[in-house]
Amino acid sequence: MTRLNFVLLAALVGSCMYMVKITYEGRQLFTALDRARTEERQHERDFKRLQAEREAQATSGRVEQVARERLSMRTATPAVTFYVDAAASEVRR
Amino acid sequence: MSALNPRAGGGSVRSVNYATSPLLASKTPPWRSRLLVAMVGIGFTALLARAAYVQVIGTDFFQQQGEKRYVHTLQMPASRGRILDRNGALLATSVAAPSVWAIPKDLNPDSTPAQRAELARALGMNPADLEKRLQDNPNFVWLRRQVEDETWAKVKALNLKGVHQVSEFKRRYPEGEAAAHVVGFTGVEQTGQEGIELAFQRELQGKDGSREVVKDRLGRVIEDVGQQLDPIDGRDIALSIDAKVQFFAYQRIRDAVAEHKAKAGSVVVLDVETGEVLALANYPSYDPGDRGKLTGNQLRNRALTDTFEPGSTMKPFIAAQALETGRVRADTPVVTAAGSLVIGGRTIRDAHSHPVLTVAEVIQKSSNVGAARLAMQMPPREMWELYSNLGFGHKPQLKFPGTVTGRLRPWKTWKPIEQATMSYGYGLSASLLQIAQAYTAFARDGEVVPVSMFKQDMPPPGLRVFKPETAREVRKMLQMAAGPGGTGPLAQTIGYSVGGKSGTAHKQEGGGYASNKYRSWFVGLAPVDKPRVIVAVMVDEPSAGKYFGGTVAAPVFSQVVQHTLRLKNIEPDLEVKPQIVTKAVPAEPESF
Repeated sequence: MTRLNFVLLAALVGSCMYMVKITYEGRQLFTALDRARTEERQHERDFKRLQAEREAQATSGRVEQVARERLSMRTATPAVTFYVDAAASEVRR
Repeated sequence: MSALNPRAGGGSVRSVNYATSPLLASKTPPWRSRLLVAMVGIGFTALLARAAYVQVIGTDFFQQQGEKRYVHTLQMPASRGRILDRNGALLATSVAAPSVWAIPKDLNPDSTPAQRAELARALGMNPADLEKRLQDNPNFVWLRRQVEDETWAKVKALNLKGVHQVSEFKRRYPEGEAAAHVVGFTGVEQTGQEGIELAFQRELQGKDGSREVVKDRLGRVIEDVGQQLDPIDGRDIALSIDAKVQFFAYQRIRDAVAEHKAKAGSVVVLDVETGEVLALANYPSYDPGDRGKLTGNQLRNRALTDTFEPGSTMKPFIAAQALETGRVRADTPVVTAAGSLVIGGRTIRDAHSHPVLTVAEVIQKSSNVGAARLAMQMPPREMWELYSNLGFGHKPQLKFPGTVTGRLRPWKTWKPIEQATMSYGYGLSASLLQIAQAYTAFARDGEVVPVSMFKQDMPPPGLRVFKPETAREVRKMLQMAAGPGGTGPLAQTIGYSVGGKSGTAHKQEGGGYASNKYRSWFVGLAPVDKPRVIVAVMVDEPSAGKYFGGTVAAPVFSQVVQHTLRLKNIEPDLEVKPQIVTKAVPAEPESF
């Protein structure tokens, strides 16, 4: 009887220790998860900010300015555009 | 006596009998031990009662108090919805921006003036201003709200006690001043103040979330408790605006205002098929992201809020009604002899007199007398109904702050001279958008379609005002008006046929008209056979010598039409002398 009690006591102490360890690990994991989530939110915010910045860099005004000044492009007019007739090209094929 | 004091008897110390200590010998009364037992018993009972109270009866209260000490509520701010153009380009978006705040009673004793000056520099503030701000409240002051991430990084590097940050959102407007009047802006608390930001505040704003967590000594979140409310981000709003057309229109009106030394100008571009507003630009404008020196003049969305007498742009409607009811045909002559007409003692004059004009020529030459003669054949009620059906005197069905109704008086109060002047656009008022909307009647073969700021999946049902043939006939007249011999030949474009009507008026001042202040405008459509866009341009007080709508506003119209049709990939309907030169280059025979 006494031996059984000792075995049970050891099991109890063991399981208690194990529970403490698991709880500790659980908290560690939760902290890591929470940190990852915060990071995710941060990345999301950065993404939005960068997207807005990209958009600001690519506004019509800036694109036009760069196209004109740096790339020496000019606006296409109907005089320099050859319009392809979709229906006619279908027939030819 | 000897029993009490053994030494007194001269005997040795060893002879002391401890077991019979005289102190113990005194008899304790039994009530004392009972009292003691009772008191201990009462003590335990009190403890038990307290334990029962804490654990059972008052458990909620204590649980709450406990939670208060270790549970923290984290606010999770929702992000405001974005505003997009028809192709998904960003017109407004929210980005995270830290706001820096301080607890002066922590900061002041713990830092040197030099450190605080450093802090002011990092925040881009004046050191004296910072000191003054720190005196405001010992517990909390905002130092600077919605700064860049780098600014906060610099402040953090100073490592000062009592300086904190809270994460907030800041609105960014990539299109800047070009779309300012459409998009509007928000205040520092992210509430809409103008434009779409104000009109769709509820949809855009979203709902903040919160979560309750347990934090450990290091401030790390270790457990979620209670319920979590996820933040609901605001809805994105997609407008019908095309950022490219919008920017181009803004640029052109800005240049025109500068060129003609004008006070202001507006452009409205409508998609004919759906009634969508492709562009709505005003100058002067402002940068919605930086409103430091904002004036009311810059804020005004003139195309929607400023009404004026539509003048000559009304004549085509009168001609259309006369054609519609079979009173005249396009080639019916109208006597405009001597260029003046007397009605009720008042004289109506033309700028250039022509003896006789056909109905088509009345529009082409913009004859006031001709328009008045056509109108006087109609009962006032018929004319009122026509104008009313075209949307004059009604607020456009646009969910947009500041949209005005304009003025169209009830027909019963019209005097004959008023009916005559109304035929050429005086005595009633409308906004530029209303005039553009009314022109959908010509562009859509007789149907007026309500304008919309939002992308339409299918064309909305219109209100039929004219027969398709009538609309087509008037479009030809408009083409003549915008051609050689008309009032607006500068409206012509390369490759696309255009039709439109110019307008010029003395500005109203007080009760009368100012003799040297003008307003010039042009409204038209293109291509004439199958219109795709309507463009309306208005320039306020051009004062560089030129002031006719045909010379001031028509060139802007021409450029905007040309650009918009090209962007929409619409094939030119006019013969264009091609400038494409290709040379037949024979290919070098390959060696094999």
